[in-house]
Amino acid sequence: MKLYAYCLVEDLDAFDPTTRGISGAAVRSLQIDDLAVLVSDFNADTVAVTKENALDHAAVVRSVLDRTAPLPFRFGTLVTGQQLRSYISARKPALQTRFEHVRGCVEMSVKIIREISTDNETPRDDITSGTSFLEEKRLALLGSEQKAAEATEISTWLHEQVNGLIRDEQATVRSSEKLVLAAAHLVERDKIPQYKERLAAARKNRPELHFLFSGPWPPYSFANIELEFKTQFGVS
Amino acid sequence: MELSPENPLMAEPQIETAHAEEFVEQLRCVTDTLPSRINIDAQSVEQGLAKLVLTLIEFIRRLLEKQAVRRMEGGDLSPEQIEELGLALMKLEAKLQELKTQFGLTDDDLNLDLGPIGRLI
Repeated sequence: MKLYAYCLVEDLDAFDPTTRGISGAAVRSLQIDDLAVLVSDFNADTVAVTKENALDHAAVVRSVLDRTAPLPFRFGTLVTGQQLRSYISARKPALQTRFEHVRGCVEMSVKIIREISTDNETPRDDITSGTSFLEEKRLALLGSEQKAAEATEISTWLHEQVNGLIRDEQATVRSSEKLVLAAAHLVERDKIPQYKERLAAARKNRPELHFLFSGPWPPYSFANIELEFKTQFGVS
Repeated sequence: MELSPENPLMAEPQIETAHAEEFVEQLRCVTDTLPSRINIDAQSVEQGLAKLVLTLIEFIRRLLEKQAVRRMEGGDLSPEQIEELGLALMKLEAKLQELKTQFGLTDDDLNLDLGPIGRLI
């Protein structure tokens, strides 16, 4: 039988035994050295990607967020107990560094939409010569370079707004799309009120942008343990 | 700050936006590009391979276009060379469009999510 792994935790004195995970399975805390892994028994080889299962996974990770900063595993991580022990044993210094990084923090998310012009993106039907084709491409290229510059400016601007209030940032810039920026900020819990105030003020200065703020979340974007886990064991 | 279940900061996550519908639409577009599991049946394997190959060709085609534009802007090419290069790239674009139609793919299908690096195209 395999184990479904939800997250790694430290300093977890007690865990509510009534917590339910994927498919209603009981969740338990598996103590390995001075760390613990929240797991539940799992009988199949793959986990169905459904809204219910994703929410069950998130609920288990979130259930400990009021007491500690967990390192979440990627949704669908199935392992054996031996693999978990080997992994933790082999990667302990790296995991401790990761815990130190997220300790006392939560993840806050900012997404930004901007209006983009698509004037130069509609292909013209009247292009028959190679020269006019390349000229059209030149104009399109100029447009995309401008969009990229705008996207970088928005990303830099957002970083400046929260500078000093965040411990880390993961930003995904998509210069050619309306959803131009998705940023995750690692914020110390006691700085959240200031962080929110700063963003509320910043939003007023950029009425041309549309914002979505959310959180607090477990530090999903700063855990990065699934990648290491895959490298180590080829777990899929 | 004391961490406890009573800490109001640890309440359920809040989502705040004045443009909910717009974000739902955009986030749906993003999740549509996430890699899904591949069913190993003849038709989906063929289409999956076509998608991968055409994505790489599209990526190279765009690189060639950019290079051609740069050379045109730099004054490296004579008007005849510009015309010839432009025609070749125009034909390449038309051919790729034809292949996309043949495999039932759209422009949005031709991309690869490279994780933290972003998307290929």
